Amino acid sequence: MFQTSSLLFVLVALQPAIFASVDDAQAFALQAAEPYVKEGFQVREDYWGGDLGSGEKKAVRQQLFKGNEYWFWLGTEVDRAKVSVHVYDSDGKLAEEPDGWEKGHFAAAHVIPKATGSYFIIVSVEQSPEERTHWALVYGFR
Amino acid sequence: MIPFTRHLKLGVGVLCGLALCAGAAQAPQHIDIKQLSATVEDVVVPLPNEIFGALNKLGAVNWKQHVRSDKGPNFTERPRIALLLGTVIADGFIAVQAEDAEAVKEIGQRVLTLAKGIGVGNSITPHAKAIIEAADKRNWENVRRELDRTQNSVQQAMNEVHDEKLSQLVSLGGWLRGTEVLTSVVKDHFSSDGAELLHQPDLLSYFQTRLQAMPEFNLPIIRQIQDALVEVKPLIDVGDRRIPPESVKKVNEITTRLGHGIITRD
Repeated sequence: MFQTSSLLFVLVALQPAIFASVDDAQAFALQAAEPYVKEGFQVREDYWGGDLGSGEKKAVRQQLFKGNEYWFWLGTEVDRAKVSVHVYDSDGKLAEEPDGWEKGHFAAAHVIPKATGSYFIIVSVEQSPEERTHWALVYGFR
Repeated sequence: MIPFTRHLKLGVGVLCGLALCAGAAQAPQHIDIKQLSATVEDVVVPLPNEIFGALNKLGAVNWKQHVRSDKGPNFTERPRIALLLGTVIADGFIAVQAEDAEAVKEIGQRVLTLAKGIGVGNSITPHAKAIIEAADKRNWENVRRELDRTQNSVQQAMNEVHDEKLSQLVSLGGWLRGTEVLTSVVKDHFSSDGAELLHQPDLLSYFQTRLQAMPEFNLPIIRQIQDALVEVKPLIDVGDRRIPPESVKKVNEITTRLGHGIITRD
């Protein structure tokens, strides 16, 4: 009885680690994107994901086209994590609009490219109670 | 004299205000890209739809002129089927732009046949059905969404069985078809903004790197694509300079030739 109780306790305690995944993070990123779909943004099915330590960053590169408008949405299932996402052009200059936002374990960046080309999207786990934090980045355009 | 409790409330209020202001940290205005380049994740290949959307904003495009829904040959070599599948999905986006429901439905069927040919038919059947139903209702947003889901499902199914290279060929087929149509439109109605949409040197390099890692796909069409990308690169890798009409015309010739090769038996 005691052993069963101990096992149950351990399973409950480990639940976030056992079930956390990039897929879960993607669900949160898509949640952040949802209000924008009504505004005409087409959200891509393909996405980026991974895991980062607290304070770590990752760069992804994406081809963007002048004339389109883009949003990048970042999410993680670790609800006490703080994340951020920022976009730079191929010269390393900040290229995003000022209305990007960060709300705990969600963040978003808005880009209206001044030129067609490659852009760098920097994903960061600013703080997290977990040793590794799964993240997912989706994007939409119109 | 202000009571202590009021001092305390004021202090807490100021601290909360500062915390709120600090919540959205300022991003650095500049970063060192050279440091990043070595650790950059794979790109997500843009859908042809992204280019077509940008093209539409430059002026009316006669999309019907570019609609293609021929059945085409049945290949047995999986790399050929993968390239063709990407091309046909791109044709789906073109048919959506043209709002050609019949073409979309034929393309939906064709996508399913090709997906079965490379063993991923099961994951595509619901999407092919959804494409046809959405086309019947002229719900173009849903058709676009299902075409994206189709490509994603195909690629995920391939990645699950460690056929990542075929997955990359699907993307490549779509990109080539998208570039063929982009250059056709811009060639006929040239504008610098239209030509600028070709500025995709990093994406081209991505495809070159992927193809170099596929020596086992020793097919003429793969070699032709590799040679063609070498030809295209200097035409579009122009830095801040404009891409001239002659370059657009040349890229169109090259991608049209490749497109013909993808849909034609050797």
